[in-house]
Amino acid sequence: MSGYIATFHTHLAALLTSRSLSERGVKAQMMPVPRALSSSCGTCVRYEAEEPCFDAMDEDVECVYAIGGTDTYTLLLEKE
Amino acid sequence: MKKINWLVVIAGAVVGIAAVVLTLLGNPANMGFCIACFLRDIAGGVGLHSAAKVQYIRPEIIGLVLGAFVMALVKGEFRAKGGSSPATRFVLGMVVMIGALVFLGCPLRMVIRLGGGDLNALVGMVGFALGILVGIFFLKKGFSLKRSYTLGNAEGGILPAVLTGLFILAIAVPTLFKASEAGPGSMHAPIIAAFAIALVVGALAQRSRLCMVGGLRDTFMFQDLKLLYGFVAIFVLVLIGNLVQGKFKLGFESQPIAHSAHLWNILGMFLVGWGSVLLGGCPLRQLILAGEGNGDSAVSVFGMIAGAAISHNFGLAGAADAVNEAGEYVVGGIGTAGKVAVVICILVLLAISLLNVQKKEKNA
Repeated sequence: MSGYIATFHTHLAALLTSRSLSERGVKAQMMPVPRALSSSCGTCVRYEAEEPCFDAMDEDVECVYAIGGTDTYTLLLEKE
Repeated sequence: MKKINWLVVIAGAVVGIAAVVLTLLGNPANMGFCIACFLRDIAGGVGLHSAAKVQYIRPEIIGLVLGAFVMALVKGEFRAKGGSSPATRFVLGMVVMIGALVFLGCPLRMVIRLGGGDLNALVGMVGFALGILVGIFFLKKGFSLKRSYTLGNAEGGILPAVLTGLFILAIAVPTLFKASEAGPGSMHAPIIAAFAIALVVGALAQRSRLCMVGGLRDTFMFQDLKLLYGFVAIFVLVLIGNLVQGKFKLGFESQPIAHSAHLWNILGMFLVGWGSVLLGGCPLRQLILAGEGNGDSAVSVFGMIAGAAISHNFGLAGAADAVNEAGEYVVGGIGTAGKVAVVICILVLLAISLLNVQKKEKNA
């Protein structure tokens, strides 16, 4: 099981993705985007899963990161 | 997860110290920093309204935006983007400003007023928190102004460029602009000091994402108190500054540039809280985001300037409590036009909130 953070272009996309992940039994939590990832003050979804669950992401997903140690994130997906 | 982001606390502390110092250097009492008041002064300075007591090209606003702009460039975080319902954001900016001028201050000045002992700000904070809760309600219902898109760098540099031009003109040809000879607009720190202090605050606000609305929003939505500690740091430093100088005065009456019409203090800040959640940040935050290239925030700032002009041209802004010639204490507040405007603004926010609940969420 690994930790991931998905960032979005809108708060709504975070809300919908969080629900989508929860519906498939993935432990997901909405929270402010960590400062290390962005200077914006949007909402991200942090989740624990076997794989990054790209297919559960809303179309307005911005990035998906794998969480390493403290403030260490590996970019897995980036969408314009 | 870290519980405290010390950069936010430091940024808040610097803002608090800056507010105290700027007041010492000449800014009005409990108004070392106020984004709404200073944008209103700029609106007056360029002749968008003719309220003689609140006209001045405030270097603080220019410094905040340029501080954020330079810091974002240095850190590689300058991103030109926009296109997230700009016209709606313009109107939201107007509403936020109308609400702030009913109360007589933005959320930042609300905290600074609290640090001076002004209990009317505590009353305003009740409205502010209620407004944020209503905004959060609509966020949870699926409110969205839709996404922004990457744009050319020139678009991202619009507000920094406009303000730089304004600053150069204000220094080179000051007679172009109106400047108050009495009242709050006539009280100001020296230009270079105000600009330099604001540059530092703008840079720190960019690094820390300091936001008055974000503090309460994240606390209510996610039980995340990181931004709220910035809010607390500002309060504590301003409180200490006022206590040291013997300027702390606890109460409702005779507070500097404030009124004790409680209902309207609540409703003014209710508009600010609700509107700012829909915008995604308080007036200070909009300046900082515009500095780092966000065209939507620049449009929101232009909306706030327009809102300031509307407030004063139509007599919507609050009047401070005062003592009349007979020596009687007269409670200020707003007139009939202001009261009608507050009701209209609540209806506007309701309409914007309802009309932007996205369909895919409604059907979910």
